[in-house]
Amino acid sequence: MSASDLQVGRVLRASTRGFALGCAVMQPEIPAFGSFVRAEGQVSGQAIYGLIYDVSVEDDPFVRQFIGANPPEEVVRDQRENRQIPIEVRVLAVGCGDGETIRHCLPAQPPVTLDWLYQCNDEEVRTFTERFDYFRLVLEAREVPADELLAASLRVAAAARPESEREGFLIEAGRELVRLMAGEPTRLEGLLRRLRA
Amino acid sequence: MGRAMAERQEAFDDLLELARQWLTEFADAGAALQRPARKARAAIPTEEPLDVVHGLPPIPDRFTVAAADGSQIQPDRHGAALYYLINIGSLVYRHGSGEAPEAKSESMLGYTEDDLYEDGAPVSGNLLDIRRDLGELERLVEVCESEGSVPTVALVDGSIVLWVLRDRPAGARSAKVGAYLEKLDRIRRSGSVVGGFVSRPGYNEVTQLLHLANLGGDTKKASEQQNPLEHLPDRAVFATLPPGARSSLFISPKEINQAEYTRQGHEVHFFYLNVVEEGQRPIIARVEVPAWVAKDDDKLNLIHGATVAQSRITGDYPYALARADELAYISSQERAALEDMVATALIRAGVPSTPSPKAHYKRLTRRGF
Repeated sequence: MSASDLQVGRVLRASTRGFALGCAVMQPEIPAFGSFVRAEGQVSGQAIYGLIYDVSVEDDPFVRQFIGANPPEEVVRDQRENRQIPIEVRVLAVGCGDGETIRHCLPAQPPVTLDWLYQCNDEEVRTFTERFDYFRLVLEAREVPADELLAASLRVAAAARPESEREGFLIEAGRELVRLMAGEPTRLEGLLRRLRA
Repeated sequence: MGRAMAERQEAFDDLLELARQWLTEFADAGAALQRPARKARAAIPTEEPLDVVHGLPPIPDRFTVAAADGSQIQPDRHGAALYYLINIGSLVYRHGSGEAPEAKSESMLGYTEDDLYEDGAPVSGNLLDIRRDLGELERLVEVCESEGSVPTVALVDGSIVLWVLRDRPAGARSAKVGAYLEKLDRIRRSGSVVGGFVSRPGYNEVTQLLHLANLGGDTKKASEQQNPLEHLPDRAVFATLPPGARSSLFISPKEINQAEYTRQGHEVHFFYLNVVEEGQRPIIARVEVPAWVAKDDDKLNLIHGATVAQSRITGDYPYALARADELAYISSQERAALEDMVATALIRAGVPSTPSPKAHYKRLTRRGF
């Protein structure tokens, strides 16, 4: 963990397949679908990696008061630009690390409630996506919009690389998808189309 | 219990009818009641009839409302170190601009000897409240002095009569009030308007005045005879105000108002105001303003209209004050984080820091499993 690590929020509940966290953030800081995140493992030095697959804005009693009241523009902008928004973020676990190597597998133990979850920096994203073994974990996850999530994560991973390497990275990822989804041509076509978008 | 409550409501309604009857009956007796009201510490009438109703005045297309509120962490002798924190939240809302309001939170950590003691007394309780009140008003002064020619209203949460405990030496009390009044002066010089918004006010100064009026202004009789309206809050009497309308102006009978504010040109006046839209149940607030606002129709209309406009955003309470309170609020997580930061700073500086045994065991036993 470095001093520049961006905290996303604290873990609300967790299992080895994934976890949810709650936080209050300003609108521009809402974590994005498909982002890579990391939680500390229960043993020092361990990390659990995940992909954000759902971000929901929670009920806010103060905002509720203005629903249907046609609030002035100043209030709308105040609520959007100045107030922290309570959100819940859901994460699919896709890997774990011991400080030296990263493996694309489910963690042996989930993170603990109230643990911090951090946004992965570009270097971590590049390291994590040097291999594509996590594709299977995403494609087989039933509770998530798997194809959308995989495409979004690959766009994030491409953006974390120098511009000259992005196209090559996406072509490699596409080849791996062709190998994994050979028996599902329609689904594969849709996913590849999403990657190109 | 239900029957008792019903009987109580019936008695309350009878008293309310009596109070409103007296308000009408003695509406024009204000001038004669001014002197006895001062003596009896009842609401002091102005030149306006007691039962006058002022409808909602027009407001400018563009105007600014600035609100400030504060919260504090009291010094804790059981903590790792002795310190206090004052947090001032403020919102500057520019009506008609379409802009996002300016939200701000400012913190002041007090930890030096000068911060923690004042004339030998520890700065906590009322002394800390006063520092917070001065901080709130200072923030409003900053806004008023920077808003330029746009009509600006500075809103304080609660009364603008500073509460200073009587156990302070007279000179020290006077200095506190003087510092507050100096800030009111700066707002006055900026051309802005200032007022205090009191939500669900519990005062019974007007009902005290009505009791006095019913006794012909005889203060001796008024003090000897029980006031039948004693438990009736003023706001109940004014619940007949139409939406957006205000009551007559009165002068606050508080001793400190008469002794300090009046002498320096800030004599606190007040009126009651129904802030809701047409068709809603009345919500009566009290608005306090200094004399230089009360005696200037344009300024008085501005604060009247602006307070209603602000309250109607939420329905019943000024939006800017609600947000200032939110911005000032110190959550339990923030308190804990500050405690950790203070403890870390002490360790780095080589200062031994431990909570008292009492605090230590409270933390252990309340942690749970």
